[in-house]
Amino acid sequence: MNRVKVLQAWLCCLSLWPCWLSHGVPLDCKDEVGSLSHCASISQEKLLDRVIQHAELIYRVSEESCTLFEEMFVPYPLHALRNQGGNMCHTKPFPIPGSKSEIQQISDKWLLHSVLMLVQSWMEPLIYLQTTLNRYDDAPDALLNKTKWVSDKLLSLEQGVVVLIRKMLDEGILTSPSIFEHTLNPYNEQSPEVLESVLRDYNLLICFKKDAHKMETFLKLLKCRQSNKLSCLSY
Amino acid sequence: MRNSGAVLILTFIAKLISQAAGVSPPGKPRLTSCRSPEKETFTCWWEPGDDGGLPTTYALYYRLENSETVYECPDYRTAGENSCFFNKNDTSLWVNYNITVVATNALGKNISDPVEVDVVYIVQPNTPENVTAVVVHDDQGPFVRVSWEKPRTADTRSGWITLLYQLRVKQEKDKEWEEYDAGMQKYYNVFSLHPDKEYMVQVRCKPDHGFWSKWTQTTYVKMPNYIPRERSLWIMITIFSVFIVLILTWTLNVKRKSVKLCLLPPVPGPKIKGFDKQLLKSGKSEEVFNSLVIKGFPPTTDYVDLMVEYLEVYDNEEQELVLDGKDLSEDCMKSKSLSDSDSGRGSCDSRTLLLEKCMEGREGSGSDRHQYSQHGETSWASSESSESQGPEPGSPESTDGRVKTWPVVFSSPQPQPHHHYQNGAVKPAYHSVPEILSHLSPLATPSNYHQLPPQQEGRFSKPACRHSQSYNQFNLDGVNPPVPGVSQSHSLEYVEVQTVDPQNMLLLRPLSDPNREPEGSDYAGEDYSRVKEVTSNNILLLQREMSHQCMNDYNQDLDSQADQCTTQQPPHPCKPAIHQLNSGMPQEVMRVMGNGYVDSTVLMPTY
Repeated sequence: MNRVKVLQAWLCCLSLWPCWLSHGVPLDCKDEVGSLSHCASISQEKLLDRVIQHAELIYRVSEESCTLFEEMFVPYPLHALRNQGGNMCHTKPFPIPGSKSEIQQISDKWLLHSVLMLVQSWMEPLIYLQTTLNRYDDAPDALLNKTKWVSDKLLSLEQGVVVLIRKMLDEGILTSPSIFEHTLNPYNEQSPEVLESVLRDYNLLICFKKDAHKMETFLKLLKCRQSNKLSCLSY
Repeated sequence: MRNSGAVLILTFIAKLISQAAGVSPPGKPRLTSCRSPEKETFTCWWEPGDDGGLPTTYALYYRLENSETVYECPDYRTAGENSCFFNKNDTSLWVNYNITVVATNALGKNISDPVEVDVVYIVQPNTPENVTAVVVHDDQGPFVRVSWEKPRTADTRSGWITLLYQLRVKQEKDKEWEEYDAGMQKYYNVFSLHPDKEYMVQVRCKPDHGFWSKWTQTTYVKMPNYIPRERSLWIMITIFSVFIVLILTWTLNVKRKSVKLCLLPPVPGPKIKGFDKQLLKSGKSEEVFNSLVIKGFPPTTDYVDLMVEYLEVYDNEEQELVLDGKDLSEDCMKSKSLSDSDSGRGSCDSRTLLLEKCMEGREGSGSDRHQYSQHGETSWASSESSESQGPEPGSPESTDGRVKTWPVVFSSPQPQPHHHYQNGAVKPAYHSVPEILSHLSPLATPSNYHQLPPQQEGRFSKPACRHSQSYNQFNLDGVNPPVPGVSQSHSLEYVEVQTVDPQNMLLLRPLSDPNREPEGSDYAGEDYSRVKEVTSNNILLLQREMSHQCMNDYNQDLDSQADQCTTQQPPHPCKPAIHQLNSGMPQEVMRVMGNGYVDSTVLMPTY
C-alpha cells in the first residue's frame, strides 16, 4: 500500500516537473539548443509587461534598501552628500543620455541593449554588496534579504530582456558574464564600519537605485512605442 | 598703522551706526523644494532669510555631480518670486544637482545649505483637468460618473510618465472625504450616493514614483430625488407580510376551537383504579389518596418473613422435596436479584423460572423433605432414587411430579453451579429443562410454567416425546426406597450408587454411611461411582476404576420411539455427550460428564 502511494507521488512529481521549470523561471524562455521552449506561447506584449513588472519591483526594493542603509549607517549630515570624494557610479561602456529628448531619439534596439547592459553591469557589484553587508555587525535582516532578492531578480530580468531582444529584434545574444571592468575591489582589509567604506557602500546602493529607475523608464518607453496596440494613447 | 587703526575704528563706527539704523547682512536663505511636473523640467523655490533692512538679491547656483562647474540659475522669472526654473535643456536626468542659494546685500551675503536633487525623484505632476461629474440613470438607480483629463504637461502617451489617479467625494456637511482609487483610467463611477443631496468631487494624480499632485477644484454634483429600489422593495415586502399576517390571524380566529384542539390536546383524565375523580375535584385529597394506598407496601414487615425457607415441590401430592431453607432462600433472593439485573434472560432463565416455582412450591405442604446438594449431578441420582415413591411410570401425573422435581433441584441459584458446568452443554441444559417439562406434561397447568418463552418451546417441539420422561423414570423406576439417613437429615448430602439391580434399580446409600465399602478406593478420593455403560437391557454398568478418560462410546439403542426423537449430538471427545438409551421403559437419558459422572438431568443436545 505504501509502495503504491510512493509510486504515485513520484509519478505526480515527474509529471509536474515541466511545470516547475516554467514556474521557477517565469521569464526564462530557454530557446537555446537542446532546452525546452516554454515561451513559444507567451506573446511579446505579455512578456514586455512581465519585464516591466520586474523592473518596477527591483526599483522599489532598491529604494527601500537605500533608505534602510541610510537610516542605519549613514550619519545624518551626510545624507545629502553623495558622490563625494570621487565615489561615482561606475562608468558604463556607452553613456546613456540624460534628457528626454535625447532618450526619445534612441531606437528600440538601443533601448533594449541599454537595458541589458545595465542589468549585466550590476550583477557582480550586487554580489559584492551582499558580502559587504554581511560583514556589518548590525545590518538588519530586511536589508540583507532585499539585497539578495534583488540579486536574484536581476537574473530573471536579464533573461527576460534577452528573450525580448530575440523576439523583437531577432537577434541572438549570449548572456555573457561581466564584460565590464571591475571598478569595485572588495577592500577586505578595511573594516566595514569605517566611514569611508560606509559611504562607499551607500554610494553603491544609490547608484543601483538610479540605474534601476533607468531600466524601468526605458522599458516603459519601449512599451508605449509598440504600435500594434496603441496602448498608451488612453493613458 | 594709523591707517589700519583708522579703518578699524571706522568700520566699528559704521557697524554701530548700521545697527542703530537696523541694517545687517542678509539672513540665510533656505531652499524649500524643487519639483518637476513632467520629468523634463524642474523648478526650485527658496525662502529668503532676513534681508537685513537692505535690498537683497538672491542667486541660485548649481553644480552637477562629477563636475566642478558652477552654473547659475537660467530663469528666475518663469516660476515666480524666489524661484528658479530649469528648462528642458538644462535638465539632466539621473544626475544629482547640488544647488545653493546666495543672498547678497550691501553689507554682505549669505549662502544657504546645499541641496542634492535628482530630477527623476522629485516629480510632482500638475493637477488633472476638466473634472466633470454627471448623474447617470440606471436600472439599479442613479449614480455619478466622474471623468477628467490628464494634466496637460504630462507625457503619458509616449510612456515617459505614468500617472495614477485618485478622487474623493463628500457632502458639504461631512467632515471626512470618501476616497477612491481610479488607477490609470480617467473616469470613475460613484455609487451609493444619497438622493437629493449635493456632493463635492475632487481629483488628483501621481506618477509611479513621485509625489501626489494637488487636488483639483471642487466639482459639484446633485443627486436626483429618487426612491431607492431597495427601499421600495422592502416596503412592498412589509406590506405583503402584514397582509398575510392579518389573513392568518383572521383564519385562526374563525377556527379557534379546532386550533385550540390541535395545539392543546385535552389532558386525559387519570385512570387509576380506585381513584375517584370526583373526590379529587371535591378537594378531599386524603380520601382520594387513601384508595391508592396499598396496604403493606412498601413492605415494612420483617424481610426475613418473605424469604423462602423451603422449596417445596409437589409430586402428585405424594412427594415433596424440600430443600434446605436457608441456603436456598438466600439463593433464591440472590438469583432473583440476579435475574433482575439480567435484561433478557429473566424470562428464559431457568433459574428464575425455577425460583417462581420456588415460591410456589413453598406453599405446598411438605411431606417428605429431602435435601439435595447444590451440586446437582450426583444428587440427581441419589435424590431421585431416594424419592422414589413408586409412581406409575409413564403416567402423566408421575411425570408431572418428577418433572416438577427437576426444576427444584436446578433452582440452586448460585453462580457456583454454573462454574461446575464449564461446558456449553450444561447451560442449555438448564434452559432446556423447563421447556422439556412443559412438553412432558401435557396436562401441566400453564400457570406453572407460564414463563416459558415460546421460541424455546418451538425448538423443543420435536423432541417432545418421551425422552424426557426417561429422565424421571430412570430414577424412579424400581428404585428402592429412599436411602436411610438421607431423607431425614437437613444437610445436603451425596448419595452413592451402590449397585444396580437387574431390575434396574439403583441401590444408593449415603456417603456418610459407615458401611460404605471402599469401592472407590482407587477413585482418587472421590466417592462417586462412575457409570460405565448402560446396556441395552437398561443396566447401568458402573465403573470400578477411576479414569479420566472420557466415555463417549455409548451406544444408542434406538427403538422406534427413539427414532423420532433422535438427538443429534456429535460425539466430542472429552466433552459431555448426551446419550440416549431407549429401550422401552424406562428410557434413560444420561449425560456423561467429562469425569465420568452421570448427569441424567441433561436431556437435550448442546447447542
